[in-house]
Amino acid sequence: MTGEHRHIGRPVPPRHHERLVRGGGRFLADLRAADVLHAAFVRSPLAHAAVAGFDATAARRDPRCALVLGPDDLAGRTAAIPTVWRLPGQPQESIPVAVHTARYAGQPLGIVVARTPTAALDLAEAVRLDLAPLPPVPTVADALAEHAPPVVPGAAGNEAGRIRFGSPAEEIAAALARAAVVVEREFTLPRVHHSPLEPRGVLAAYEAGTGLLTVHASSQSPHAMRQDLCAVLGLRADQVRVIAPDVGGSFGSKVFLYPDEAMVCAAAVALGGAVRWVESRAENFTGAYQGRAQQATARLAVSGEGRFLAFDADLLADLGAYATQAGAGPHQVTALTLQGPYHADAAAATVRGVYTTRVPTGAYRGYGMQEAAFIRERLVDEAARELGLSPVELRLRNLIRPQDLPHTTHTGLTYDSGDYGAVLRRAAALAERPPPPDDPPWVRRATAVVAAVEISAFAPTALLEAFGIAWSGWEGVRLRINHDGTVTVHSGVIAVGQGIETSLAQIAAEGLGVPLDWVRVELGDTDTAPHSDLSAQASRALTLAGGALVIAARQLAGRMRALAAGFLKAEPEQVTLRIAATADPSSPEAAFHGAGGARITWRETAHRGYRGWGRAHRTDRIRLEESVDFDPPQLTFAHGAHAAEVAVDLGTGRVEVTGYWAVHDSGVLVNPLIAHGQITGGIAQGLGQALTEEARVDGAGLPVTRSFREYTLPAAQDIPEDLVVEHLCTPSTVIPGGFKGLGEGGAILPPAAVACAVAAAVPEIAHTLTSLPLTPSRVRAALRAAGITAEGGIR
Amino acid sequence: MSAVAFDYTAPTTLDGALGALDAPGRTVALLAGGQSLVPLLTSRQVRPDVVVDLNGVAGLAGIGIGADRVRIGAMTRLREVERHRGLAAALPVLASAAAAVAHPHIRVRSTLGGSLCHAAPAAELPAVALALGAQVVLRSARGVRSVPAGRFATGAGTTVRAPDEVVTEIVFPRTGPFTYEFSELCTRGSTGYPVAGVCLGLRADGGLVRAARVVVAGCGPVPVRLPGVEAALVGRAVAGPHPGLVASVVAEATRPGSTGPEDREYRAEVAGVLLVRALAARAGREGR
Repeated sequence: MTGEHRHIGRPVPPRHHERLVRGGGRFLADLRAADVLHAAFVRSPLAHAAVAGFDATAARRDPRCALVLGPDDLAGRTAAIPTVWRLPGQPQESIPVAVHTARYAGQPLGIVVARTPTAALDLAEAVRLDLAPLPPVPTVADALAEHAPPVVPGAAGNEAGRIRFGSPAEEIAAALARAAVVVEREFTLPRVHHSPLEPRGVLAAYEAGTGLLTVHASSQSPHAMRQDLCAVLGLRADQVRVIAPDVGGSFGSKVFLYPDEAMVCAAAVALGGAVRWVESRAENFTGAYQGRAQQATARLAVSGEGRFLAFDADLLADLGAYATQAGAGPHQVTALTLQGPYHADAAAATVRGVYTTRVPTGAYRGYGMQEAAFIRERLVDEAARELGLSPVELRLRNLIRPQDLPHTTHTGLTYDSGDYGAVLRRAAALAERPPPPDDPPWVRRATAVVAAVEISAFAPTALLEAFGIAWSGWEGVRLRINHDGTVTVHSGVIAVGQGIETSLAQIAAEGLGVPLDWVRVELGDTDTAPHSDLSAQASRALTLAGGALVIAARQLAGRMRALAAGFLKAEPEQVTLRIAATADPSSPEAAFHGAGGARITWRETAHRGYRGWGRAHRTDRIRLEESVDFDPPQLTFAHGAHAAEVAVDLGTGRVEVTGYWAVHDSGVLVNPLIAHGQITGGIAQGLGQALTEEARVDGAGLPVTRSFREYTLPAAQDIPEDLVVEHLCTPSTVIPGGFKGLGEGGAILPPAAVACAVAAAVPEIAHTLTSLPLTPSRVRAALRAAGITAEGGIR
Repeated sequence: MSAVAFDYTAPTTLDGALGALDAPGRTVALLAGGQSLVPLLTSRQVRPDVVVDLNGVAGLAGIGIGADRVRIGAMTRLREVERHRGLAAALPVLASAAAAVAHPHIRVRSTLGGSLCHAAPAAELPAVALALGAQVVLRSARGVRSVPAGRFATGAGTTVRAPDEVVTEIVFPRTGPFTYEFSELCTRGSTGYPVAGVCLGLRADGGLVRAARVVVAGCGPVPVRLPGVEAALVGRAVAGPHPGLVASVVAEATRPGSTGPEDREYRAEVAGVLLVRALAARAGREGR
């Protein structure tokens, strides 16, 4: 057995799977806590109202009641949550925790703490609200209408601000003028729920004696949460510790501190005790921030030879009642990535943020790139139809070629590496198959292929600084060989079910040349994790923490070798490390070997190292620990192409996805099993948005989709059995290890792929396929409008 | 979420259950399979003072196949209805409609009586019970009565069951020369909530419709028979063509004065499409 420990590229089963399946999970609701009290919220039943009264007399008199904090109490105990990524001109710089005007149904107005969860709910119901209704503003159209009721003071016409990216207007105008074909369409990407398996939750414990607030939270970004909590509660960073236990999915819904979470912490401080809140599914449907929510008017100009001249879009972002910490961020990313993987003479987009009386919107897997892909790929498809060209051919003609890379787009993104054409051709080839002979006459079947790039390694410090986004974009790791030779990795990224702890262990084990099971990865605790504001967002964890870990492991492996060489009285390059696959660190099978049969085990090397022995100089470092901060030189871009085959039932309007083929290039894959799971899961989510998911309200702005009865998520049976995921590999040129992200890629393309396939199946309605989801009733309405009768479909 | 506190009683006899229902001034909820009631309780949409659990009551479950009638106990699980061999031969449409409800985890708990009492507008079994002309048998301390399935549900989620009554069994006439089938469109795959459903009963001879029974679900608060459509089918070739049939289903299922969900036109059109396809499938099976 040699010292070769090849872990990168191996399909190792994710380490958390067995633990979770066997009931060993530690989710927020599972955590044991002594003397914990339980919280429930008083939420606004109206979309827009002045809170004239909050009478908790009856609740406070109940012996089960520990505390009630209403708007006035909260005003004295909390400051507003600061926003970070603002639109130019944005009038609202923070999100208040204490409010006297409810701006969306479900907005938390107060918190009740009681001895049991049921008592807390009972007492929350016992609070008497005196609300003076204000006119609701449920849609962007309502908000922008003349004389619309104002949602946010200071926002003229309910506009939160605007920003433009890309080519100057005159270049766009010139491109439109010389085009043979200009395709313009209106697009609607509705609000959607993230629907994590585990809703949100907080367990906050405050010790008055030490002044320490310990917060366990189902959070995707513990450091960002701590930073916001300090601002809200007026505490110092060293007084607040945030720990994310097992997190049952987030998809962007748990990236920022919410006002209700802040109230739980304020209540713990007020009580000098522990308070837990576990969000119900019903609350998650009304109170958790939503995703997407974009309307667009977009154009594609094409020359007579089928060359893209310009992409141009006006985007309306439904921000809801408040711009969250990242505000219109996802919509800005739509604008930045509208051009996608194609050449064009010009490309630009304007984003306008709009306030409505609905729950705020924010990050959701794909972060604006799904919207961009839908708009762009539908426009390309429509242009191909108007030009009489094959859509695949039109795409291939305009794709950026490998020899053109690196290539900087009109919005300033520099694509580093990849082969966009190879990926698209592969997806198209996979999807090629003869139609089944037994389709009934009312079924039309067709396939489409679409393409996108995926931002990853978000983000270089310089980029965030240029945008004025006050978050850290770099990522740090701390890699330690313990005194017994085992290995511990600390990172600021966190596990949300994606398997990052396994991938990081693989990188560390390979870099050190040790067996995988020697490595433990510790994540999610602000007291021990290196600082990370963005943590596991934005397909960045593997690229940035992984990149840092590659460097740290190289350095630490060198230090171990030098130590061992010293003990073996040899030069480092004369020493050989040989570790058997199943050896433990103290085994003779895990040793550095010098000349003449001399050897020292891995454990003994580490152990002596910790005693401070074997240093060449007194000033040499002792602890076998490397801290590396990696600030990427630029973003790195993964990319992919998806092909969908759909069967459209002309009579009922139902669209069934009968085959799906995804080809991605995410550079070097650390764990193909995890990569497959990430892409497949993303596809499933994307198919839901393509076909069924839409968070709706009624005319009064009250949520209609309040459970999985009204809100249809795709189930296993809705994912085609013919689902193929392949990866090509063009290593990143800017990330150590050659990694690129893949957390969002699967979710970016399905709506575009499905809608383009429906368009190919039923060209009569192609021009209408610009709004999601493609529910049976919506598709049937389009068919009816195109003169395809329900019976006509049947023959 | 957790339910508002309630009293709970689990009688083991029908008399015990009827006694528990005699609770003047208190609201009582009957717990059968719990697949609808429990979510309503925990979301606090239903707030009974007492929950009477019927799961331990002897004699409320079971399937009896007689020469003229099939009797199914109200607490019979849908999974049992779906898999019962005798029933598959006697009333196959019941088995196939039961199999169309949600997914197996739910059907293992969910009961026939519970399904009828929950009276969801697009639900499968109330539509089939109506088409088959079933009788719903109710018992109370006052006595026994039998209500035709077509008069049992009075609206979405409401029935003629009095607060002191328990549905004990559902009695289905054997179908004689009629052959029934049920089909539906769901919000997703086969396990989503139904959008619209159709139960078609047909007596055919020589490829021609001699008599028809058509029930549509999902187009209004309760499933309804469409006598106009039934009459129009008589004398037609089963195989069609059926020009104007979808339009007649839409017209009759959404006739003025009736109410329904906002997208009822679409749902009724789906019901019409399902009906035409059921006829075509029937003709195909019989080789015509």
